[in-house]
Amino acid sequence: MEARLDDPAAVTAMGLAPRVMRRQRLGDALFRGLTKAFAIGVLLLLGGVMVALVNGALPAFRKFGLGFLISDAWNPVKDNFGAVPAMYGTVVTSVIAMVLAVPVAFGIAVFLTELCPPVLRRPIGMMIELLAAIPSIIYGVWGLLVVAPVLQTTLQPFLIDTLGNVPLIGDLFSGAPYGLGVLTAGMILAVMVLPFIAAVIRDVFLTVPAMLRESAYGMGATTAEVVRAIVIPHSRVGIVGGVMLGLGRALGETMAVTFVIGNDHHIHASLLATGTSIAATLANEFTEAVSNIYTSSLIALGLILFVITFVVLAGANVLLWRLSAREST
Amino acid sequence: MTYEIQPVEIPNRQRPHLIQMPAVETPKPIAEAQEQVQPKVQIKDLRFYYKNYEALKGINLTLHDKRVTAFIGPSGCGKSTLLRVLNRIYELYPDQRATGEVLVDGQDILDPRHDLNLLRARIGMVFQKPTPFPMSIYDNVAFGVRLYERLSPRRLDERVEEALRRAALWDEVKDKLRESGLSLSGGQQQRLCIARAIAVKPEILLLDEPASALDPISTQRIEELIADLKSDYCIVIVTHNMQQAARSSDYTAFMYLGQLIEFNTTETIFTHPHERQTEDYITGRFG
Repeated sequence: MEARLDDPAAVTAMGLAPRVMRRQRLGDALFRGLTKAFAIGVLLLLGGVMVALVNGALPAFRKFGLGFLISDAWNPVKDNFGAVPAMYGTVVTSVIAMVLAVPVAFGIAVFLTELCPPVLRRPIGMMIELLAAIPSIIYGVWGLLVVAPVLQTTLQPFLIDTLGNVPLIGDLFSGAPYGLGVLTAGMILAVMVLPFIAAVIRDVFLTVPAMLRESAYGMGATTAEVVRAIVIPHSRVGIVGGVMLGLGRALGETMAVTFVIGNDHHIHASLLATGTSIAATLANEFTEAVSNIYTSSLIALGLILFVITFVVLAGANVLLWRLSAREST
Repeated sequence: MTYEIQPVEIPNRQRPHLIQMPAVETPKPIAEAQEQVQPKVQIKDLRFYYKNYEALKGINLTLHDKRVTAFIGPSGCGKSTLLRVLNRIYELYPDQRATGEVLVDGQDILDPRHDLNLLRARIGMVFQKPTPFPMSIYDNVAFGVRLYERLSPRRLDERVEEALRRAALWDEVKDKLRESGLSLSGGQQQRLCIARAIAVKPEILLLDEPASALDPISTQRIEELIADLKSDYCIVIVTHNMQQAARSSDYTAFMYLGQLIEFNTTETIFTHPHERQTEDYITGRFG
């Protein structure tokens, strides 16, 4: 077809005037150029953000060197800063959130796709999606005013009395029940990322071909067996994607964490103790940063968060790549 | 591509048992044939509904053990639906329901008290497209066996090999049992699915257009396989391919618009059909 369009005689024979052809080609070229510009614009923006972050973080790295990454100091009076407490809080709250949210999201997805009566399927699915629509500041206020006091009098004393006495992990659950703290932040985060993970996992579960599902049920497998042997292996790439989406959100979540983590630049062994995260530190202290080196240190924290998120995404891609490599052999 | 039409071996071919009957009524095999051929499944006034749409309008049919029965008919006539009733796979979908009786060895399997998983262990199903599970070739075949039996690793190995040999796949995969079932070709995948179905030693094998997605050579292998498996199973095959029905089945049921129009020996259906609609369909005048 293309060859014929280049041939003027054939074009005339098809009854298409050269003028029409030219106009169509021009339109095509415009459309291609426009979409390409959009795509490149995003790349430029990303590059710009990186340049601005690195540029802003340079003074801090010049003063503290790589020591910024291993120092746990945070002293605005003496202008001495280190990133470790914030990094620790970011990673630990996100890990807690994932440990709590992923199994629940899994259960929700299995229920919605395999077990739920169809009448309830849409309402429940919509409620879960609504959870994702609640602004994070609401979660923060709710965490501070409702969840933290409840945890302070119930779950936290319970953990201290039980797990707190177990060797090896006892230190994680020691100390006084403040209500606020790393564990509380992780739990709030879990609620916040749950709908994302559940929705993604549900959607990938639904992509399992009906015939494949039927052939497993046709062998006489129970729902649990079908989910374990067919549905999960078939959708593991999407599951990893969903979990990473949730993790990415948890790492960067700001307001809710700021409200409940306690904003304390010290690392405590106990998960019940207060702490801080990169995003919380930025939100709290940017307006108070009076010296240049203070501001630069905060920007450096932002750069580190950027790198952590990037590493997580890259790790997910490597994982997916290895999964698909193993599958094709 | 043409391929030979091989006559299907029927042990008592000398006297093909004619089954004369009006449409939509239980066929009454003549006494002599009844001795040789055991009825395995008796379907009585089976009606099937997708929501309010009646897809099967009172089917009466008997399926014989150690014989192949083909369901033919134009798309949407209900032949696949009928197959899906036999292992109650339709129950996965709440909008679908069946009424009537389906007696397997005299027991009504539509009775909700009938254990579903055990029923499905007795009735193997192979679908239109190959459906290998996302696991190794070995695990695919062992999947059903592991659900019901606790075998020693050696016994399980034997069972897997036996099933793969029966499915005429063993020689092609014996050196790569640990590789993914998805790595096989389409025809091999379909034989893998048949191996998986027969590994649990079912009594009835349901084949829903098992060769429709396959090339002619793979199709021929599947048909040879059906001829071979017939000695042990009651086989039901849904097909759009007239030649396939003529080649590989002993009995043929012609369905149209949710009704069983004619049921008889394959030879009779394809040589002296009693109903006009049947004749029109098999000669290609409609459908």
